[in-house]
Amino acid sequence: MRQVQPRRNYLGIGGWVWAGNYKLERYLYILHRVTGLGILLFLLAHLTMTTIFRIQGQDIWEATMSILHNPWFKIGEYLVVVALIYHSLNGLRLIIQELGFLLGKPTPPIYPYQDSLRKKRPWTMAMIGIILVLCLVFFYDFIAGGW
Amino acid sequence: MRNTYLWFIQLVTGILIAVLAGIHTVWMHLDAILGFFGVDVGEVTAWQSMIERSRETMWASLYIALLVVVLYHALNGLRNIILELTPSARIGRIVTWTIAAFGIIVFIWSVYVPISLLTK
Repeated sequence: MRQVQPRRNYLGIGGWVWAGNYKLERYLYILHRVTGLGILLFLLAHLTMTTIFRIQGQDIWEATMSILHNPWFKIGEYLVVVALIYHSLNGLRLIIQELGFLLGKPTPPIYPYQDSLRKKRPWTMAMIGIILVLCLVFFYDFIAGGW
Repeated sequence: MRNTYLWFIQLVTGILIAVLAGIHTVWMHLDAILGFFGVDVGEVTAWQSMIERSRETMWASLYIALLVVVLYHALNGLRNIILELTPSARIGRIVTWTIAAFGIIVFIWSVYVPISLLTK
Protein backbone atom coordinates (compact mmCIF):
# COMPACT_ATOMS: atom_id res chain seq x y z
CA MET A 1 0.00 0.00 0.00
CA ARG A 2 1.28 3.40 -0.92
CA GLN A 3 2.22 5.46 2.10
CA VAL A 4 1.02 9.04 2.08
CA GLN A 5 3.95 11.17 3.09
CA PRO A 6 3.04 14.17 5.22
CA ARG A 7 4.17 17.42 3.68
CA ARG A 8 7.27 18.60 5.45
CA ASN A 9 6.81 22.02 6.90
CA TYR A 10 10.20 22.13 8.56
CA LEU A 11 12.17 24.85 6.84
CA GLY A 12 15.39 24.43 8.81
CA ILE A 13 18.03 27.11 8.44
CA GLY A 14 16.47 28.10 5.08
CA GLY A 15 13.52 29.34 7.15
CA TRP A 16 15.72 32.23 8.23
CA VAL A 17 15.18 33.83 4.82
CA TRP A 18 12.37 31.89 3.12
CA ALA A 19 8.92 31.57 4.68
CA GLY A 20 7.67 28.59 2.67
CA ASN A 21 3.92 28.23 3.12
CA TYR A 22 3.81 30.70 5.96
CA LYS A 23 2.40 34.14 5.37
CA LEU A 24 3.24 37.77 6.09
CA GLU A 25 3.88 37.24 9.82
CA ARG A 26 6.75 34.87 9.09
CA TYR A 27 8.47 37.55 6.99
CA LEU A 28 7.92 40.03 9.82
CA TYR A 29 9.64 37.51 12.09
CA ILE A 30 12.60 37.17 9.70
CA LEU A 31 12.88 40.94 9.44
CA HIS A 32 12.67 41.18 13.25
CA ARG A 33 15.65 38.87 13.52
CA VAL A 34 17.69 40.60 10.80
CA THR A 35 17.04 44.06 12.26
CA GLY A 36 17.87 42.72 15.75
CA LEU A 37 21.25 41.42 14.60
CA GLY A 38 21.89 44.64 12.67
CA ILE A 39 21.12 46.76 15.72
CA LEU A 40 23.44 44.54 17.81
CA LEU A 41 26.29 45.22 15.35
CA PHE A 42 25.51 48.93 15.43
CA LEU A 43 25.39 48.85 19.23
CA LEU A 44 28.92 47.46 19.42
CA ALA A 45 30.23 50.12 17.02
CA HIS A 46 28.26 52.81 18.85
CA LEU A 47 29.59 51.76 22.26
CA THR A 48 33.16 51.73 20.89
CA MET A 49 32.68 55.27 19.62
CA THR A 50 31.00 56.63 22.74
CA THR A 51 33.51 55.08 25.14
CA ILE A 52 36.98 54.58 23.63
CA PHE A 53 36.88 57.65 21.40
CA ARG A 54 34.93 59.83 23.84
CA ILE A 55 37.22 59.39 26.84
CA GLN A 56 40.37 60.44 24.92
CA GLY A 57 39.40 64.10 24.82
CA GLN A 58 38.15 66.73 22.44
CA ASP A 59 40.57 66.24 19.52
CA ILE A 60 39.94 62.51 19.11
CA TRP A 61 36.17 63.06 19.54
CA GLU A 62 36.05 65.75 16.87
CA ALA A 63 38.18 63.69 14.48
CA THR A 64 35.80 60.73 14.96
CA MET A 65 32.76 62.96 14.43
CA SER A 66 34.19 64.40 11.21
CA ILE A 67 34.52 60.85 9.86
CA LEU A 68 30.97 59.99 10.97
CA HIS A 69 29.52 63.04 9.24
CA ASN A 70 30.36 61.44 5.91
CA PRO A 71 27.13 61.04 3.83
CA TRP A 72 27.58 57.24 3.66
CA PHE A 73 27.59 57.03 7.45
CA LYS A 74 24.48 59.24 7.47
CA ILE A 75 22.70 56.78 5.19
CA GLY A 76 23.81 53.96 7.50
CA GLU A 77 22.54 55.92 10.48
CA TYR A 78 19.16 56.32 8.82
CA LEU A 79 19.00 52.58 8.17
CA VAL A 80 19.73 51.97 11.86
CA VAL A 81 16.85 54.31 12.78
CA VAL A 82 14.54 52.42 10.39
CA ALA A 83 15.66 49.10 11.92
CA LEU A 84 15.04 50.49 15.42
CA ILE A 85 11.55 51.73 14.50
CA TYR A 86 10.67 48.40 12.90
CA HIS A 87 12.14 46.25 15.68
CA SER A 88 10.46 48.22 18.47
CA LEU A 89 7.00 48.40 16.89
CA ASN A 90 7.00 44.80 15.72
CA GLY A 91 8.32 43.82 19.16
CA LEU A 92 5.45 45.72 20.75
CA ARG A 93 2.99 43.83 18.53
CA LEU A 94 4.57 40.52 19.54
CA ILE A 95 4.39 41.39 23.25
CA ILE A 96 0.75 42.51 22.98
CA GLN A 97 -0.20 39.34 21.13
CA GLU A 98 1.84 37.07 23.38
CA LEU A 99 -0.15 38.44 26.33
CA GLY A 100 -3.32 37.49 24.45
CA PHE A 101 -4.59 40.90 23.34
CA LEU A 102 -5.82 41.85 19.84
CA LEU A 103 -6.44 38.20 18.97
CA GLY A 104 -10.23 38.45 19.01
CA LYS A 105 -12.66 36.35 21.00
CA PRO A 106 -12.24 32.60 20.81
CA THR A 107 -14.92 31.00 18.62
CA PRO A 108 -16.14 27.39 18.55
CA PRO A 109 -14.60 25.36 15.72
CA ILE A 110 -17.70 25.31 13.51
CA TYR A 111 -17.49 25.64 9.75
CA PRO A 112 -16.59 28.13 8.29
CA TYR A 113 -13.65 28.21 10.67
CA GLN A 114 -12.21 31.51 11.77
CA ASP A 115 -8.50 31.62 12.41
CA SER A 116 -6.87 34.13 14.69
CA LEU A 117 -4.63 35.30 11.84
CA ARG A 118 -7.57 36.94 10.11
CA LYS A 119 -8.52 38.76 13.31
CA LYS A 120 -5.11 40.13 14.12
CA ARG A 121 -4.07 40.94 10.54
CA PRO A 122 -5.73 44.44 10.52
CA TRP A 123 -3.68 45.35 13.61
CA THR A 124 -0.56 44.09 11.88
CA MET A 125 -1.32 46.27 8.86
CA ALA A 126 -1.93 49.24 11.18
CA MET A 127 1.50 48.60 12.74
CA ILE A 128 3.14 48.56 9.30
CA GLY A 129 1.39 51.85 8.56
CA ILE A 130 2.75 53.46 11.74
CA ILE A 131 6.24 52.17 10.92
CA LEU A 132 6.09 53.74 7.46
CA VAL A 133 4.88 57.08 8.86
CA LEU A 134 7.66 57.16 11.47
CA CYS A 135 10.26 56.25 8.82
CA LEU A 136 9.03 59.18 6.72
CA VAL A 137 9.18 61.54 9.71
CA PHE A 138 12.80 60.59 10.36
CA PHE A 139 13.57 60.76 6.65
CA TYR A 140 12.25 64.30 6.56
CA ASP A 141 14.45 65.23 9.50
CA PHE A 142 17.54 63.62 7.98
CA ILE A 143 16.97 65.64 4.81
CA ALA A 144 16.06 68.84 6.69
CA GLY A 145 19.08 68.54 8.97
CA GLY A 146 21.37 68.31 5.97
CA TRP A 147 23.51 65.31 5.13
CA MET B 1 11.62 27.45 33.94
CA ARG B 2 14.80 29.50 33.79
CA ASN B 3 14.24 30.21 30.11
CA THR B 4 10.72 31.42 30.89
CA TYR B 5 12.14 34.02 33.26
CA LEU B 6 14.84 35.00 30.77
CA TRP B 7 12.14 35.43 28.09
CA PHE B 8 9.93 37.45 30.42
CA ILE B 9 12.86 39.80 31.15
CA GLN B 10 13.39 40.00 27.37
CA LEU B 11 9.83 41.37 27.01
CA VAL B 12 10.18 43.85 29.87
CA THR B 13 13.56 45.13 28.67
CA GLY B 14 12.05 45.43 25.17
CA ILE B 15 9.42 47.87 26.41
CA LEU B 16 12.00 49.81 28.45
CA ILE B 17 14.29 50.09 25.40
CA ALA B 18 11.40 51.35 23.25
CA VAL B 19 10.97 54.20 25.77
CA LEU B 20 14.63 54.98 26.60
CA ALA B 21 16.08 54.47 23.10
CA GLY B 22 13.07 56.40 21.80
CA ILE B 23 14.09 59.42 23.90
CA HIS B 24 17.73 58.99 22.87
CA THR B 25 16.98 58.65 19.14
CA VAL B 26 14.50 61.54 19.01
CA TRP B 27 16.92 63.81 20.89
CA MET B 28 19.86 62.89 18.69
CA HIS B 29 18.11 62.90 15.32
CA LEU B 30 14.88 64.87 15.25
CA ASP B 31 16.52 68.28 15.72
CA ALA B 32 14.48 69.95 12.94
CA ILE B 33 11.15 68.63 14.23
CA LEU B 34 12.05 69.30 17.90
CA GLY B 35 13.00 72.82 16.80
CA PHE B 36 9.53 73.23 15.30
CA PHE B 37 8.07 72.49 18.75
CA GLY B 38 10.39 75.03 20.35
CA VAL B 39 12.99 72.61 21.74
CA ASP B 40 16.46 73.67 20.67
CA VAL B 41 18.84 70.72 21.08
CA GLY B 42 21.71 72.50 19.33
CA GLU B 43 24.56 70.62 17.66
CA VAL B 44 24.23 67.39 19.64
CA THR B 45 27.42 65.76 18.42
CA ALA B 46 29.64 68.77 19.17
CA TRP B 47 32.16 68.22 21.98
CA GLN B 48 30.76 71.02 24.13
CA SER B 49 27.17 69.78 23.83
CA MET B 50 28.23 66.19 24.51
CA ILE B 51 30.33 67.06 27.56
CA GLU B 52 27.52 69.22 28.99
CA ARG B 53 25.12 66.29 28.74
CA SER B 54 27.77 64.02 30.27
CA ARG B 55 27.94 66.25 33.36
CA GLU B 56 24.20 66.00 34.00
CA THR B 57 23.22 63.13 36.30
CA MET B 58 19.88 62.81 34.53
CA TRP B 59 21.46 62.04 31.15
CA ALA B 60 24.13 59.79 32.67
CA SER B 61 21.47 57.77 34.52
CA LEU B 62 19.38 57.50 31.36
CA TYR B 63 22.38 56.22 29.39
CA ILE B 64 23.39 53.72 32.07
CA ALA B 65 19.81 52.44 32.39
CA LEU B 66 19.62 52.13 28.61
CA LEU B 67 22.95 50.31 28.57
CA VAL B 68 21.77 47.72 31.12
CA VAL B 69 18.51 46.89 29.34
CA VAL B 70 19.99 47.06 25.83
CA LEU B 71 22.91 44.76 26.65
CA TYR B 72 20.59 42.21 28.24
CA HIS B 73 18.05 42.37 25.41
CA ALA B 74 20.64 42.22 22.62
CA LEU B 75 22.82 39.48 24.07
CA ASN B 76 19.89 37.34 25.23
CA GLY B 77 18.40 37.73 21.75
CA LEU B 78 21.69 36.62 20.19
CA ARG B 79 21.81 33.66 22.58
CA ASN B 80 18.27 32.65 21.62
CA ILE B 81 19.20 32.70 17.94
CA ILE B 82 22.35 30.63 18.48
CA LEU B 83 20.56 28.12 20.73
CA GLU B 84 17.90 27.72 18.04
CA LEU B 85 20.52 25.85 16.05
CA THR B 86 20.11 23.21 18.81
CA PRO B 87 23.73 22.65 19.75
CA SER B 88 24.55 20.06 22.41
CA ALA B 89 23.83 20.98 26.04
CA ARG B 90 27.56 21.45 26.63
CA ILE B 91 28.00 23.87 23.69
CA GLY B 92 24.80 25.59 24.80
CA ARG B 93 26.33 26.23 28.22
CA ILE B 94 29.58 27.48 26.66
CA VAL B 95 27.58 29.88 24.44
CA THR B 96 25.58 31.12 27.43
CA TRP B 97 28.63 31.78 29.61
CA THR B 98 30.70 33.31 26.81
CA ILE B 99 27.89 35.74 26.00
CA ALA B 100 27.33 36.50 29.71
CA ALA B 101 31.05 37.17 30.26
CA PHE B 102 31.20 39.38 27.16
CA GLY B 103 28.16 41.31 28.38
CA ILE B 104 29.63 41.87 31.84
CA ILE B 105 32.96 43.12 30.43
CA VAL B 106 31.22 45.49 27.98
CA PHE B 107 28.93 46.67 30.78
CA ILE B 108 31.76 47.45 33.24
CA TRP B 109 33.76 49.36 30.63
CA SER B 110 30.77 51.22 29.21
CA VAL B 111 29.49 52.22 32.63
CA TYR B 112 32.93 53.43 33.75
CA VAL B 113 33.09 56.03 30.94
CA PRO B 114 29.87 58.00 31.70
CA ILE B 115 30.62 57.89 35.45
CA SER B 116 34.16 59.21 34.96
CA LEU B 117 32.88 61.92 32.59
CA LEU B 118 30.41 63.21 35.22
CA THR B 119 33.18 65.17 36.92
CA LYS B 120 35.17 66.14 33.81
